[in-house]
Amino acid sequence: MSTVTAAGARRARPRAWTRLSDVASRWAFMGPAAVILGAMLAYPIFYTIEISFSRFDLMTFGAVEWIGFENYAHVLDDYRFWSSMKVTLVYLVFALPLQIVLGFGIAFLINADWRGRGTVRALFIIPMVVAPVVAGGIWRMILDPLWGIMNWVIGLAGFGPLDWFGDPNLAMAAIVIIDTWRWTPFVVLIATAALLSLPRDLFEAAEIDGAGWWSMLWSITLPLLVPIIAATFVVRWLGAVKMFDIALAATYGGPGGATNVINLFIYEEAFRSLRFAESAAMAVIVLVLTMLLTGLFLFGTRKLEQRY
Amino acid sequence: MTRFHEAAGSVSRRALIVAAASTVAVAAFGGAAARAQDGLGTPEQPVEVRMIANEAFANQWQTLMVPEFNKAYPNIKVTIDGVPYVELLAKSMLDATGPSPTYDIIIADDPWVPQLAEVGALMDLKSAEAAARTDAGYDWDDFNAAPLAAGEWKGVQYGVPLRSNMLMMFVNKALYEKAGVPLPTPDLTWEQYLEQAPKLVQDTDGDGKVDAWAVDTYFVREPLTPTIWQTIMNSNGGQLLDADGKPAFDTEIGIAALETHRKLLEYAPTGAVSHGFSESLQAFRQGLVATMFNWGSVYKGSAIDEKTTTLKPDQVGIQVLPAGSVGPGAHRGIWNGTVSAKSENRQAAWTVIQWLSSKEGEAWHSANLGVFPARKSTLAAKPSVEWLGPVFAALQQAYDAAEKGKMWRIRHPRSDAAQQILADEHSRFMAGNVSAAEALQVAAEKIEKVLD
Amino acid sequence: MTAAALHPPLRRRSRFGRKVRIAAGVFACLVFLFPVFWMVLSSFKEQRDIFTVPPTLFFTPTLETYVSYMQRADISRRLINTIIVAVGSGLLSIVAGAMAGYALARIRLRGAGTIGVLILLSRGVPPIALAVPMFLVARSLGVTDMHITLILAYCTFLIPYVMWLMRGFFLALPKELEESAMIDGCSRFGAFFKIIVPISMPGLLSTMIFSMILAWEELLFALVLTNRYASTIPVAIAGIAGDTVNGANWGALTAVGTITVIPVVVFALLVQKWLIQGLADGATKG
Repeated sequence: MSTVTAAGARRARPRAWTRLSDVASRWAFMGPAAVILGAMLAYPIFYTIEISFSRFDLMTFGAVEWIGFENYAHVLDDYRFWSSMKVTLVYLVFALPLQIVLGFGIAFLINADWRGRGTVRALFIIPMVVAPVVAGGIWRMILDPLWGIMNWVIGLAGFGPLDWFGDPNLAMAAIVIIDTWRWTPFVVLIATAALLSLPRDLFEAAEIDGAGWWSMLWSITLPLLVPIIAATFVVRWLGAVKMFDIALAATYGGPGGATNVINLFIYEEAFRSLRFAESAAMAVIVLVLTMLLTGLFLFGTRKLEQRY
Repeated sequence: MTRFHEAAGSVSRRALIVAAASTVAVAAFGGAAARAQDGLGTPEQPVEVRMIANEAFANQWQTLMVPEFNKAYPNIKVTIDGVPYVELLAKSMLDATGPSPTYDIIIADDPWVPQLAEVGALMDLKSAEAAARTDAGYDWDDFNAAPLAAGEWKGVQYGVPLRSNMLMMFVNKALYEKAGVPLPTPDLTWEQYLEQAPKLVQDTDGDGKVDAWAVDTYFVREPLTPTIWQTIMNSNGGQLLDADGKPAFDTEIGIAALETHRKLLEYAPTGAVSHGFSESLQAFRQGLVATMFNWGSVYKGSAIDEKTTTLKPDQVGIQVLPAGSVGPGAHRGIWNGTVSAKSENRQAAWTVIQWLSSKEGEAWHSANLGVFPARKSTLAAKPSVEWLGPVFAALQQAYDAAEKGKMWRIRHPRSDAAQQILADEHSRFMAGNVSAAEALQVAAEKIEKVLD
Repeated sequence: MTAAALHPPLRRRSRFGRKVRIAAGVFACLVFLFPVFWMVLSSFKEQRDIFTVPPTLFFTPTLETYVSYMQRADISRRLINTIIVAVGSGLLSIVAGAMAGYALARIRLRGAGTIGVLILLSRGVPPIALAVPMFLVARSLGVTDMHITLILAYCTFLIPYVMWLMRGFFLALPKELEESAMIDGCSRFGAFFKIIVPISMPGLLSTMIFSMILAWEELLFALVLTNRYASTIPVAIAGIAGDTVNGANWGALTAVGTITVIPVVVFALLVQKWLIQGLADGATKG
């Protein structure tokens, strides 16, 4: 396209035009997404970075003075930031693999060829639809040591009530359970769609070749599912890293900060304490870390996709 | 945290701007007498006033209070938008700092007035401009001192109390009788209370399992939880800040109060460490606990309203919190009506909150919506319903106690940041991660930095 | 041929194994639905019956919470707002996101990969850090409290998800599909919309349902960007949960929670029925 000169324009027009429209049509696919996101995100991200390096003025909600890394120093000096990072890490390490494995497992189960499969799939998405505040509250009702059905059942079996939200470890377990309950359905939703789209002829050919159930799963299904498993993981990871609503609704981040995930801390600093500059500094740190880790996952995804 | 220094430095400049702005406003106001009439609207051209309020009562006000107000002022159209409590301050700030705010009236919780006033968002309700619109019969001196002080900052009255509240002690009399413990009085001390507490943990149906406990209240990681500790500390003569505005709670009294708060956990239901406002209410309303320390406004839902409570009106007592060395405890939580300084409908807006906080408005408000009044005259008058009698008596005691012991949260442009730090350290102590001394020391250091 | 390719594998399995699988799947579904059952049950209880020890299964049901909350004008208005915003942002993000995903999976385009990764990485920003500046921009443009503002704001987190998920789905498709179509004279767009979109229907629909659900339950942006006219249900729910006057009214919360679940479930059931029906039709024709 760039090689088209003014002199040769007339002669080259048909070809140049085709090439131009070809490139345009290729870019047209990327265009809408890039334009919407560029327009919506450019300023907010710039703003966040700017105020993270500035003294923040509540009167204008803007930066007043460049102060370098002072906000960052404050944040890094705060033990609450580090403990939040640790809590977030623990939550991610438990919740993510659990949801992916459980999600694909259940998808495989309910994808058996029977009439009710559509209904089961549809019902499965309900946990995702329940608003986080309500979800947190219902689980509080279920897990409560006094009036919760869970401990009542445990009590019938002769065990003492578990203080799910009072014990730091159990509180983290409760968060992982609630989050898994909410988001495994997402993995199921995507995984069943992936299983539905698998080309059947491949499996028929394999069956004719006498392949067993296990070898079909291992050598045909899984490799075909790699891109979608990886994509699901990346999407879920980017969602989970920002989780704070469930912690807010179920444990308020407690006891003693045991479930105070980093996004809850950032939210509290900004919206409760009105410390927007410190909150922005944390947001930038989290952004950079998330980018690095996501980059790592993408690299891993590419390696996996190439392998299969 | 050099921010505050700069803020202090710019105070004079800001004061000038405010003064200039109000002079202009007064000039405009006095200059056109016809315009004054416009301020309250005409049948042809009603004034529209928008209010931002706590979602918990926005709907109630819109459907019940506004029609009542319109009987007196038919040409002021009031629209109320409700926002969930925890986001209300940030949302109000975002709106009020804009060049032309959406909201003419901001309903601000107790510790928010300094924060909103400091960014120049609020109008001085005793300024010449407001005074010109203030009814001659509007009796400022009739307010109890404690609730009125919630709307004040640096000597300027920015807000008037619209919905008053106090931390109170709720008593389940049946459980006290069952345990054979004398009913508490306002003279009850914390020592006596803690002595009685073990007896109030009881097995009421004789199946060998404990099914009723002594107490439930705020224990969870939440900004309002430290108010219980603060109240115990205040009633023993401790203070949050000293005269210079530096943290002063990191003392023997503070430590002892914090330990008292945790001691309550021993006599509270299983899982109470994650209980807060709603959970302790549920436990109390189910008849599981003999006492509850909670906001007085929950009395109706805990004793009267059959849909929400299992208790009967004569079963539920209400009084001030147990006493320390100084006197009984209470803690202030006042919703203030404030007018946005940049609003174009300041006169109409002030008329709305003036009506609601006037003697007539407040009497209507408390009689019909059960809202706690702040005026001495309303509290002294015979209440509309019988059950409000003892409640009002307790409320008056609470106002006096709060006034005497300065029982309120930190008043400062960054008070919510300070309260969040208290909540964090308090919760670490409750969870057993740190000692009381260490929790308070860390909190004091952090708060000193924040308030600086 | 495409229809046959759509049909799921795993046909010839022992009857017993199939039954075990179905039973296990249904059981898993029931486990996941139990809290929802508890929510619906609680929504018919009076506030005083919700927190009893031991939990009550038998109680006098009341419809009062539903009636009183549905009568409140702001709940139905907010429900309509929520539908507008969820459908709007779901559709916009599925179109823009699927096209971008296709560009990443199939079209050789210098720089597109970088843009795609950037789009994905934009999800690393904590939402609270986006909500405030977005509000400031919306305020200066005078577009706060409007549906379109919320729809576009939701697209910022929906498009990256859709793009990345659809990229995965498109990668799993055989390349020959659109190549043969383009040899037959289809334009790139024609190939995409006539060949790729129909064959990716399961993935597209699932991803769209997912996007709509995310928009459906979003709280933070809705809270910051709207006041009244575009305010959504999650804001109302947060308000009921944070009731500082009477305590969280769980009767109301579970009732409003149930009300918000119903439209999405009905929608998903219809889509599933249509999808499975389509697959079955394809199988018989193929």
